Amino acid sequence: MAAPEASSAAVPTLMTNNTLRNAFGGVLSFFILLLIGVLAFSIRLFSVIKYESVIHEFDPYFNYRVTQFLTKNGIYEFWNWFDDRTWYPLGRVIGGTVYPGLTLTAGTIWWLLNSLNIPLSVETVCVFTAPIFSAFASWATYLLTKEVKGAGAGLTAAVLLAMVPSYISRSVAGSYDNEAVAIFALIFTFYLYIKTLNTGSLFYATLNSIAYFYMVCSWGGYTFIINLIPMHVLLCIVTGRYSSRLYIAYAPLVVLGTLLAALVPVVGFNAVMTSEHFASFLVFIIIHVVALVYYIKGILSPKMFKVAVTLVISAGLAVCCAVIAVLIALVASSPTKGWSGRSLSLLDPTYASKYIPIIASVSEHQPPTWPSYFMDINVLAFLVPAGIIACFLPLSDASSFVVLYIATSVYFSGVMVRLMLVLAPAACITSGIALSQAFDVFTRSIKFQLPGLSSNTEVDAGETSSATKEAQNDAVKTEKAEETSKDRPSRKSKKKEREHVEKPSTKTKAEKKRLLALPLEASVISLLLLVFLGAFYVVHCVWAAAEAYSAPSIVLTSHSHDGLHVFDDFREAYAWLRHNTDVDDKVASWWDYGYQTTAMANRTVIVDNNTWNNTHIATVGTAMSSPEKAAWEIFHSLDVKYILVVFGGLVGYPSDDINKFLWMVRIGGGVFPHIKEPDYLRDGQYRIDSQATPTMLNCLMYKLSYYRFVETDGKGFDRVRRTEIGKKYFKLTHFEEVFTTHHWMVRIYKLKPQKNRIRGKTKKSKSKTSSTSSSKRSERGLFRHGNVFGGKEAQNQFCISSILGLVPCATTGPPKRQI
Amino acid sequence: MAISATHLFLVSFITLSLFLVISKAESESELVADLLALQSESKSGVIHLDDRTVSKFLTSPKTPRPFSFIIFFDATQLHDKSELHLRELRNEFALVASSFITNNNSSNTKLFFCDIEFRESQSSFHLFGVNSLPHIRLVGPTAKSLKDDSEQMDQGDFSRMAESMAEFIESRTKLTVGPIHRPPILSKKQLALIAALLLIWSPFVAKKIFAGQTLLHDPKIWLSGAVFVYFFSVSGAMHNIIRKMPMFLVDRNDPNKLVFFYQGSGMQLGAEGFAVGFLYTIVGLLLAFVTHVLVYVKDATAKRVAMLVAIFVSFWAVKKVIFLDNWKTGYGVHGFWPSSWN
Repeated sequence: MAAPEASSAAVPTLMTNNTLRNAFGGVLSFFILLLIGVLAFSIRLFSVIKYESVIHEFDPYFNYRVTQFLTKNGIYEFWNWFDDRTWYPLGRVIGGTVYPGLTLTAGTIWWLLNSLNIPLSVETVCVFTAPIFSAFASWATYLLTKEVKGAGAGLTAAVLLAMVPSYISRSVAGSYDNEAVAIFALIFTFYLYIKTLNTGSLFYATLNSIAYFYMVCSWGGYTFIINLIPMHVLLCIVTGRYSSRLYIAYAPLVVLGTLLAALVPVVGFNAVMTSEHFASFLVFIIIHVVALVYYIKGILSPKMFKVAVTLVISAGLAVCCAVIAVLIALVASSPTKGWSGRSLSLLDPTYASKYIPIIASVSEHQPPTWPSYFMDINVLAFLVPAGIIACFLPLSDASSFVVLYIATSVYFSGVMVRLMLVLAPAACITSGIALSQAFDVFTRSIKFQLPGLSSNTEVDAGETSSATKEAQNDAVKTEKAEETSKDRPSRKSKKKEREHVEKPSTKTKAEKKRLLALPLEASVISLLLLVFLGAFYVVHCVWAAAEAYSAPSIVLTSHSHDGLHVFDDFREAYAWLRHNTDVDDKVASWWDYGYQTTAMANRTVIVDNNTWNNTHIATVGTAMSSPEKAAWEIFHSLDVKYILVVFGGLVGYPSDDINKFLWMVRIGGGVFPHIKEPDYLRDGQYRIDSQATPTMLNCLMYKLSYYRFVETDGKGFDRVRRTEIGKKYFKLTHFEEVFTTHHWMVRIYKLKPQKNRIRGKTKKSKSKTSSTSSSKRSERGLFRHGNVFGGKEAQNQFCISSILGLVPCATTGPPKRQI
Repeated sequence: MAISATHLFLVSFITLSLFLVISKAESESELVADLLALQSESKSGVIHLDDRTVSKFLTSPKTPRPFSFIIFFDATQLHDKSELHLRELRNEFALVASSFITNNNSSNTKLFFCDIEFRESQSSFHLFGVNSLPHIRLVGPTAKSLKDDSEQMDQGDFSRMAESMAEFIESRTKLTVGPIHRPPILSKKQLALIAALLLIWSPFVAKKIFAGQTLLHDPKIWLSGAVFVYFFSVSGAMHNIIRKMPMFLVDRNDPNKLVFFYQGSGMQLGAEGFAVGFLYTIVGLLLAFVTHVLVYVKDATAKRVAMLVAIFVSFWAVKKVIFLDNWKTGYGVHGFWPSSWN
């Protein structure tokens, strides 16, 4: 590291030496960043290597289908796209109801590659979008952390983020979902905000608004930004850190950002009309009042100012009160107080569990326990407090933002496990700062105390130059701290000034640093332990990426004593539908499989994962919970020709339709009161064995799942519920089995053609079932709810991967009150 | 003699039956008056029953009784079992009762809200055949056997608290409960007072803020606040609040032993969360202490000792968390080494 030639210690040589070192450092940083990008990309390829290049899960299939449409028909068609393949017979306006960021991004990448004559398929582009954006996200983390605590901390934070498990869980190759690009957008928006705050440049302020626009396009989580930044601004004002830079960083963001956000169809006027955005407007007013105060303070003499201040404060207060009153009136006039249920459950964590059971039931919305933190941010959980403290020493505008970010996100993650994703970047940034400072201290201690080197003049030169660098860094920090009250002159002149001021003091600084060293052997041990901690993090992250988060859930595998088993039943079934049914046939299934059916089988579905219409879902739920004949009538009235059920009883796949069935009953019963949950429960217990209720044994879902099941092993032993089924031998009267996949995981039935003689009856009971009573409906339809047994949880995926091993999974009934 | 005897018998019979009829009518109105008195005695309008009153009001009067009872079965010793929500349900029940009484102007004597406690009236519990809680039961006027003829409120009916209880009552008794009057969190006077105080206070606050002398200007407050929020969240305290988890459990096999750590990743106990949250936090705090405070200490031995302690504690904490995590979740984290290494 030290340059031996520069031993003469003359000032000009030192200067060139210094620039050389800086240049070398710059190049090194560049290559390190490049490697970090490669790391972030490649650690996410486990899913492609272990399985294949496929789109994962459910929602990504919808995004994939939209992207296909976009690349085929162009952007204007995309905005106006009315999708008639879903929600039959209603259809869905796609252009106005999706966050288009992800689709447009992947579409643009595809178009770019194609115009460069690189003929990649749309699917390939979609699969690799998330890993690519993870690399971008780690670079954005570098930039953000560099603005806060320098390049060393930036690099550390970037490498931590490149492999943080929480982020990996949402961005493995194939996980083509909004979060994949949104986390990058989130970090980049924060970086530009901090950059504007540090430089006071309108250029960055404009970029910041555009980055915010991209974030709004990409993910509903943008409300986190538009609340966090105002909070930080308010914090700065309250703690007396107001500066014109703060004004430049904030005011354009609110004005431009809100205007841009309103351009996104799915947000539209929500950008000015919902409570989630009101905080930003309130702070916008406050910052103007404060700016006015500072302006008047600047132009008036102190005595005059005292007179003016009373005037301004009273006027400002009056305006504030008026605006607050208007806001309160606006908020109070709406029934939910202007907040969506999900936001409310963040502010009052017990809200959802009390009033919206359907939100509380979703596995993603559960509050995490401590192992979740260890699983998702691993050893970073240990380092974060050190990072928080480092941010306070010294406290600058930028570091106070990081503290606010970590504090809010860690609180939110405590309420909902899915918000761990927002915590992950903050944890990486603070841990990066902590690690980098710890390495700094320990290596310095070792360097100054290595035996036989302390008297060497050659090292002195190196020391001095490195001390210069550190002194400069220190100066930057102190400068930032001092700068709060006065306006900032141009950056270049400042730099020159700094160099003049600091040269004489470098020698004494180096002496001081020598005194600040820690004991040698303890430093060595600490350093080693920190390296081990980092190594453990790497091992954990690689394991999490490879084992826990890479399963695509469309192809399942399991290891057993006789080798690897692959379950590709879903695609088998969708391919069968695609090749053996008419293109306009309607396929009914529970809504979980809607997106996949439209995307892979290209057939019209009744309900899908968008869940915007509760009545429609309830109709399907009712049909599944009804006896065969009533179900046939409902499905026939919906023009359905095929029914698809997912059945895990043969191979032990726990998230099948029988396990989700109680939700069908509940949702169906919410709209059609003749479906009652107690009818399907024996003494409050959900069971399918011989103790099951007759209603349960006669409902369509039971029959379609267990039809001919006894022929497999002669007993009808269900390996998920771990019991023999209740009714083993029965015939279907209104449906016929047309296809069952290799492992029986997907079974497709066809509605038998209508018989003439039951026609009169059909009409009668149809009118009965279609009479909806929507009095008891809650906000159910607005919220996504998963199955009872967990959605995208690592735990669930372990269950799946232990198929055939018959490991007990979360297959108990829904939570019942213990008596 | 025979005639007179018959005569006497007849007279006495008539008198007796007359007396009985009158007494029945009288006793009925007496009972209702008694009940009304009991009702007005209690604050919320819930009548407290015990074995004696149960027999007086329910078992002895002949059916049809002129009133229905809705009875909340309570057990004080189960109040601290948070998963039963007994106390909340009891409060909600009282709320329905008081709302019913106010809405019907206390003129309605058809329905009475009662509660009954397990310790005091075990035989009544037997009488109703109640062996699990929470349990709410409606005894209609015609119910002969308390066990079989009365209707039990489903779990679904009290899941949505007072409103759903009222729905249940309305659907079974054909009486209207009317809107539930929940007591406001703050009364109007309190609100006005708070608003006034805020208004008076605000100029002082503004002045202080502009002068830069509030508690908020002290970074130490912010620092400890941030670290505390961190500790609070990573310890899973939100989970404990939302799920109302107890701090520890009593071992089922050995009542003298307490269980502080729960195996299985979906759930955690209070003490467990705080212990691990503490371990998470202490390492970072020690690291910060070493890198930011210890370097300024002059004494070399003190430095050395402090560092060694910090290293030891941190190492222990990390090891402990890794061990606990493996034990709790059962995940086998392993590295991916080259196959030639094995």
